[in-house]
Amino acid sequence: MSAGKVLLHMEGVEQLFDGKIRILGPLDLEVREDEFLALVGPSGSGKSTLLRIAAGVLRPTRGAVRVGGQLLRGVNPEAAVVFQSFALFPWMTVVENVAVGLEARKLGLRECLRRSEKYLELVGLSGYERAYPRELSRGMKQLVGLARALALEPELLCMDEPFSALDVLTARTVRDLVLDLWQSPSVPTKSILLVTHSIEEAVALSDRVVVLKANPGRIAEVMDLRHLPRPRKADTPAVRDAVDRMYTLLV
Amino acid sequence: MSRRASSLGPIDLGLLGSLFFVVPVVLLGSSYLRPYDAPELDPRPALLPLYLLLSLARLGAAYGMALLAALATGYLAARSAAARRIILPSLDVLQSVPILGFFPVAVGFFIGVFHGSALGVECAAVFLIFTSMFWNLAFGVYESLITLPEDLVVAADQIGLRGSLRWSRLILPAVMPGVLYNSLVSWANGWYFLIASEIIAVGPARYTLPGLGSYLAQSVVVGRHQQTLLAILVLLATTVGMHLLLWGPLDTWAERFRFEESGGHPRTPPIARALGRSRIVRWVTRKLVVPSGQQALTVAGTVLHAVTTHSRLVGVALALAVPLAVWGLGRRLYLLFVSRALSPEIRDIPLDLVLSFLRVALGVAVSAALAIPVAYAIACRPRWRGTALAVIQIFASIPATAFFPLIVVLLTWGLAMNGGTVLLALTTMFWYVLFNVLGATTAIPKEMQEAALTLGLGGRRYLWRVVVPAVIPGLITGSVTAWGAGWNALILCEYIEAGGRVFSVRGIGATLDRANYGSGDMQVVAASLLAMVLLIVAVNRLFWDPLYQRAARRYKMDA
Repeated sequence: MSAGKVLLHMEGVEQLFDGKIRILGPLDLEVREDEFLALVGPSGSGKSTLLRIAAGVLRPTRGAVRVGGQLLRGVNPEAAVVFQSFALFPWMTVVENVAVGLEARKLGLRECLRRSEKYLELVGLSGYERAYPRELSRGMKQLVGLARALALEPELLCMDEPFSALDVLTARTVRDLVLDLWQSPSVPTKSILLVTHSIEEAVALSDRVVVLKANPGRIAEVMDLRHLPRPRKADTPAVRDAVDRMYTLLV
Repeated sequence: MSRRASSLGPIDLGLLGSLFFVVPVVLLGSSYLRPYDAPELDPRPALLPLYLLLSLARLGAAYGMALLAALATGYLAARSAAARRIILPSLDVLQSVPILGFFPVAVGFFIGVFHGSALGVECAAVFLIFTSMFWNLAFGVYESLITLPEDLVVAADQIGLRGSLRWSRLILPAVMPGVLYNSLVSWANGWYFLIASEIIAVGPARYTLPGLGSYLAQSVVVGRHQQTLLAILVLLATTVGMHLLLWGPLDTWAERFRFEESGGHPRTPPIARALGRSRIVRWVTRKLVVPSGQQALTVAGTVLHAVTTHSRLVGVALALAVPLAVWGLGRRLYLLFVSRALSPEIRDIPLDLVLSFLRVALGVAVSAALAIPVAYAIACRPRWRGTALAVIQIFASIPATAFFPLIVVLLTWGLAMNGGTVLLALTTMFWYVLFNVLGATTAIPKEMQEAALTLGLGGRRYLWRVVVPAVIPGLITGSVTAWGAGWNALILCEYIEAGGRVFSVRGIGATLDRANYGSGDMQVVAASLLAMVLLIVAVNRLFWDPLYQRAARRYKMDA
């Protein structure tokens, strides 16, 4: 088993609330190039906090985060985030929502539009460019969120419970799409950090799963699933075995 | 149980509270039940506590009535579609009427009722304050009730919550956060109009209501600056004290009635949240509010149940009384205008109206232009936010009418009156815009802020692409309120008498004031009031309402 280059490295990361109450860590974590990494755990295990630290939206109370060997200060320029609540701007159309991040990166107007349209097409939303988010279904909203993040062509895609606000069937479709896009040559993003509370989801998607325990959040175990071939079916013995093992770790 | 014995019981509290309000009112009443003889206020600072108490008694009386009326009205509007069709439009029109213009009319009416006794002036003041407190409370109650989660209502039906129990266990808790939020607004409005009504001199004879506001006004007119300053300090201390001893504890207590975080609901005023950490607030909450809260709800529930069960009777009475009143008023107006030739001033009213309109519009524009950067600056510095908000809120809770004397001093130093008028109006209008805009910036969901951060929207781009669109609905709401308040301010400040001099600019407020306090020409009074109300209602209907509808559709936080 060859371990890829380390993309993001956390060392001794800790998060305290009000300077006193420990909610996370201290822990070490790395995200490697070309890997799909999931963080699984009960509520209060700090998985979303960890994702925010990786995206550089939240600064850890203690510890260091390195991106490509450089110490991270402020927002991680190599990361993009997909949010549970979609976090689309309601006053912008679909294409504006995708383009706004590209504009902020000072791309020319034509390039912004070209790239926005490319990613909207990849997620299957061609024809909806002029719609406003409130006119879309939840599943479509999350596809816009996905297109917006991927359009930045980040090295690391951070997804915070991206399927939790969707119904089961839609979640399934969006999930398969994420996997397809990740494996597709037209999307440069090759590392994904997924936060989820669903063990089945983590097992179906990931190369490695970091299982977290709560109060304070800490790593219980890191499970390697690279031996399981994709596409993974829930009823194969190997997959069922992995799910069972994770349940016993958590309960 | 032992804790209960050591703390003051709710009954003691009720007694103390009523003593606090009843004694001054009775004292006043007895001294007032003689013909009025326009006393000069005793200027000794030692009397300030008494004046403060008198002012507070007026406010308390008006607030009590406003709250009861608002709960009943809001409840009826939420419950019955027929009532809603009458109540909502009338509230909407009535709240946009500039109350100050009607004050002299109300004084005349109540003095008539009390046969020339000064109790009439007292009643008129309380009535004026009541009208300034009532509308937003009623809307607050109505909105809390229609947004009540349906499951909760079904559950309450299922359990069998009926009658007074339904009031104390479902309705009152449900409206509590909205009522508290609006009480702060009402109370601030009340101070504003209290001071205005105490300042205003009515008709050829001067009526003075002894109180903090009249003390303030008199010390400015006579030019005793130290006393002016002292009165303003007392006012400031009172508002801070009320936050510490009343609103802070109540808000901490009412936190339990809040449904989960939802964007549309009025959030706790930040000052109350900041105060929640204060030791005094916590002490008062623990010792007084919490032990008596549930009992207070039970008592209130019984009262409100009694009030609203006779709602059908009240409805019938109103259905008979309102047309009668409208007919009577119409007839008097008609007689007023046909009884004699039209006053020449009436021909000037259109231009007066235009000039005043321009002043209010300028006030709204300046308020908006100032509020957005201030709100943005505060929103960007989360560490300062608590302190900044507390300071702003304390400043805002000084009724703008208290600033009038200070600006009058500037006028006597040579500030141009036109500038002075707009400045005076701004002291009233700015806060409405600022608070609504601030509320909207703090309501930007956290994930949306993070999304902006990871997308690289920083600095000016964040301001224009995220903050400004997010605050547009709040900006419009604030502007509508400021627009309404601006007209009241103009009535007060287009025509000012101070230190034996008259400062005035041409405008509808000045015309109204001259007719009210100078010539006593009722034709001019009626015509300018009518013109003003029609303009305000028309602008609300044709401009603000459609604008708000469009903005709400486009900029609502629902994606």
